[in-house]
Amino acid sequence: MSNRVAPLPRSGGGQRPHAIYLAIGFPPAAKSSAYRLRETANQFVAMGWDITVITICQEAWEREYGLDHTLSEKVDPRVKVIELPLMREDLETDIRAFSEERSIDPVGWISRLRKREQKIFPERDFGGWRYELEKAVVQQHRQHPADLLISSCAPYVNLAATWKLWEEYRVPYAVDFRDGWSLDVIGGGEAFTRDSVSGRWESKVLEHALAVWCVNDPIAGFYRERYPHLADRVHVVRNGYDEDSLPDVSGRSPDPNAGLTFGYLGSVNFTPAFLESVLDGWRIARRNDPILARSRFEVRGHIGAGPIREANRHMDLLKEAAVDNVSFGGPVPKSDLAATYGSWDALVLMLVGGRFVTSGKVYEFMATGLPVLSAHDVDHDASNILAGHPLWTGAVGLDPHRLADSFSEAARMALKATDEDRATARQLARRFARPAVLAPAVRHLTELVQPTPAGVPAPAATASTGDVQP
Amino acid sequence: MTAVLIVATAAPKQPGVLVEALERFRSKDATVTVACFFDSEELGIDPTLAEIRTFAVPAEKWDARFRKALERAPANRKIWLHARRSTWLRQQYRRADLLVALDARAVHTVWQMAQRNTRAGACYGLVPAQKALAGNRSEPVGKRLERRVAAAAGIGARGARSAAEQTIRTTLNKATGQRVMSNPAGAWLWTRAAAAPRIPDRLRSKLAVRLHDSAVRAGRTAAGARAASTAAQRISSLATRADVLTKAAKTELTLGHQPSGLHDAIRAQLALADDLLPRDTKKAAAAVSMAWSLSSNRVLHFDRLTSPMSTDPGAFVAPFRASTAARKLSQPRGRLTPAAPAPTDRPLRLLVTTLINDNFLPEILERYRAMPNVEVRFLDLYEDELTRPLALSGSTVMEHLLAGDSSYGAKVEEWLRPHLDWADTIFVDWCQATAALFTLPDPGSTRIIVRLHSFEAFNFWPHLVDFSRVDDVVFVSDHLRDLSTAVLPQLTDGPRLRVIDNAMDLQRYLRSKPADARFNLGMVGFSSVAKDPRWTIEVLRKLRERDERYRLTLIGSNFNDRASKPAKDYGRLLNQDLAELEPLGAVRRYGQTDDVPAALQEVGVIVSSSVRESFHCGLVEGAASGAVPVVRDWPFFAGKPHGARTLFPADWVVESPAEAADRIFAATATEEQWREIGQAAAEHALKTWDWSVTQSGFDRLLLDD
Repeated sequence: MSNRVAPLPRSGGGQRPHAIYLAIGFPPAAKSSAYRLRETANQFVAMGWDITVITICQEAWEREYGLDHTLSEKVDPRVKVIELPLMREDLETDIRAFSEERSIDPVGWISRLRKREQKIFPERDFGGWRYELEKAVVQQHRQHPADLLISSCAPYVNLAATWKLWEEYRVPYAVDFRDGWSLDVIGGGEAFTRDSVSGRWESKVLEHALAVWCVNDPIAGFYRERYPHLADRVHVVRNGYDEDSLPDVSGRSPDPNAGLTFGYLGSVNFTPAFLESVLDGWRIARRNDPILARSRFEVRGHIGAGPIREANRHMDLLKEAAVDNVSFGGPVPKSDLAATYGSWDALVLMLVGGRFVTSGKVYEFMATGLPVLSAHDVDHDASNILAGHPLWTGAVGLDPHRLADSFSEAARMALKATDEDRATARQLARRFARPAVLAPAVRHLTELVQPTPAGVPAPAATASTGDVQP
Repeated sequence: MTAVLIVATAAPKQPGVLVEALERFRSKDATVTVACFFDSEELGIDPTLAEIRTFAVPAEKWDARFRKALERAPANRKIWLHARRSTWLRQQYRRADLLVALDARAVHTVWQMAQRNTRAGACYGLVPAQKALAGNRSEPVGKRLERRVAAAAGIGARGARSAAEQTIRTTLNKATGQRVMSNPAGAWLWTRAAAAPRIPDRLRSKLAVRLHDSAVRAGRTAAGARAASTAAQRISSLATRADVLTKAAKTELTLGHQPSGLHDAIRAQLALADDLLPRDTKKAAAAVSMAWSLSSNRVLHFDRLTSPMSTDPGAFVAPFRASTAARKLSQPRGRLTPAAPAPTDRPLRLLVTTLINDNFLPEILERYRAMPNVEVRFLDLYEDELTRPLALSGSTVMEHLLAGDSSYGAKVEEWLRPHLDWADTIFVDWCQATAALFTLPDPGSTRIIVRLHSFEAFNFWPHLVDFSRVDDVVFVSDHLRDLSTAVLPQLTDGPRLRVIDNAMDLQRYLRSKPADARFNLGMVGFSSVAKDPRWTIEVLRKLRERDERYRLTLIGSNFNDRASKPAKDYGRLLNQDLAELEPLGAVRRYGQTDDVPAALQEVGVIVSSSVRESFHCGLVEGAASGAVPVVRDWPFFAGKPHGARTLFPADWVVESPAEAADRIFAATATEEQWREIGQAAAEHALKTWDWSVTQSGFDRLLLDD
């Protein structure tokens, strides 16, 4: 650890406390994490903080999932956003920007790039950002001393910058770990050992964290077990949904003769085999059920990035399914979410992974009040969330025949659902409204950093001197 | 109208995506050309959507210059070399407004086109191309001019640089080639140059490898070894030094030699492993693995008529005993509880396990499956596709053993623990991966028995077995036990060592032989160098010099000459022999058969000409059939306390082809004598090695202890 512990005057003393928020994926990035990041920043502002968000430039998102400027509209204007000129070099598609070496062996070049990046920090594609991020947080801290740093992962390279500010200036920090790092949320089990380079980084940074947030209980449980002495600092801060994404579903009465519209909205990040099972289930259902034979299935969202954007096996499968009334309509801007949900009669919740995966869209799907058809493992955390939902088909796994039954069941629910059913579903989801989820977490963090009226000693005040560690 | 040129090197896996993109381009009034580096027919796309053509130059139109350029070029540049010879494609890329690489291999070709058409956009992927088309691409004139100048300068500079590099490369290659290195003065000069001070390691190592390679290929192995070793001494980096010496050793192995610098290379890899061990067990494991890979190379032990291991086993493995990392692989970890005695209140649970090869197990499995007091399970570690990879990587086992803990270890534990929990006794056939894996986790109170046949003693696997967790090691002969204990000293301080003959049902070989079988020599198995069939052919030649009635039947699959260079060389000589003798009817290849007893019926003299055997079932089966046995005193073990001479009756064993011919003449002098000697051999074989006799050894091993 560095000896250069140089405490700077804090922004306290009657002024608003200042937090630096490492939030790569902050709006206008069209990423699913953008909502959580936005709400977190807004909550800090609402609780009296000055907040500086550090993210990467907009051009970088154009290479990936694109931009959605409507997302920025709901960012509190008091949030200061700094965009660093960092981009994923592997996603560059302008061949004029390629060196000759890269052009001769694009795959090998990327593989060498990744090796270099991982030497800097053990994370593929992002490791190389370490020094720029470190420089940015230190610079920000010097300009406007921070009382707290919140590091939202992924990318995990944020942890290096978090550590830098702690090491040099003892700025207390919290880690919004979301899906965690050392946990393989898809396969279950450990993604890397504690003695690996990543493992050493993780344990080192978590050791001094004020709080570690995870998106569900199984992930939090994994971390409590892995680091028993940190157990009381690990909190579940779920993803949630945004009220303005919800459609008006009152008084709906779909016409069975016209057929129904099923919808999926989200990144197509599952395997082609997964998608194939769902589409097979859809085809079987159409053969067996006359209502479904007249129905449509719309898929919206992002497919692939960089040179393979919308040019992969998933696209082929969707095109092949066009004859079965399946269509792909690309991503939906945030401002059109409510209208898109409103145009559908039932939702198809396609999710990878198992009990460690919740995803954000389950909350949104649930809160729409529309029937939800689960296409995911039975033992999936989404099942815990959806339990009790009156318009949920239940999870049956990925067998196409069983999914076909679920399609029919969802159609039946869509036709028979009453306003009361829909209201019950919405009411059940209300506890997952983003402010309801994030406000207590941010308040807790605020209390940890600032002296409370009850006079509990504030770790930040002492931590900044380097005498006491949180 | 916008012109779009798409370059594809293979038919896209998502043709639908391409079709949709072409439709979108058309809807934006773009004219599209698809240039294919494959048969454009494969695309199967509506020709109204785009002009589609192949640009690969057909092989019959390659001239010498083009062929040479292709030889030198990296894979993806080859595509550009084809592209630039196509007049049609040249016109297309010069007039295109947008150049698109459809796949990774096409990127360089588009990059080159973009250097020549500085006005066009250049994209990788169809969606980026559509975005580029939709976006505003108008650039300031100054910027375009700057790009054009830079591109033109780049093309010129690259051309000049490439020519200069090529000239230097050619000159250096010639100067360090075989012709120069075969000349003593040239070799001396370059050896001095490679050892000159202040040359960076990177260059010195490249030079050393090149000099060694040229010298060895020119037949001057000693000069090559000198150049490599002298240069290596000057290299400060342990990794680079190990790399140079390893490459030199590998070159010689590829050429079929026993490398003169073999031990230097092994020591260098082990020194590197020892150095890395405290900080990077993965890399340390890779270095030890490389050392073992060199020392276990089949050229050294299996494809030649001698092996440095059998000559002096202790000296051969000495570098491993001196290495901390290598010693750590064999370090005894012990077990928490000793093996429990066999249960008395229920049947013994016996797990018989192997990896792929179960040739020596049928009799054993049949016997104990029939016993009411034994419950038998059989496990082939290769069977399950999911777990199979865990049993196939020695280097991963090494990595685990050096790290002391790994996710690999956890997976093996998860896989094998249920078997360990179920079984009272595990009989592991072959001392290879199966034995290493079953001793990776603590076997608890389960008794572990490992049987070592022969090849394993020359391999690295036994060095990864934790013999402190093994209760019994079974050998099939005394001489294999001697060799194994010399190579693996840990064997002498732990498990019980037993010698139990192979399980063979010999009764079925007893059949009456026709009279003319007297002059027919036979070999069962001749597919490898170790069987040395040419030794038998020499015996046959000696016999036929005096009596042309003698002939030879070779039973089994043909000689495999694909294993290595020495095997190929041996195969060539054997083929010459066969080409000469088969037309005369002196040699017949019987081929592979499931009915060996029938094949042996026509064999009057069974020959074991091998240089190395652990037991030689084929010979014993021949003897049991009533053929006169003639056994070469297997050279790997000749003169040692145990070998063919102690395994078989003294009169069966001969020193040389001449002595073999004498024994055969004497034994086959008359039909009565031949039948009498054959009968005696059959009786000896049956009363010594038949399963009805040897099974008692297994009963004692599995049931009594």
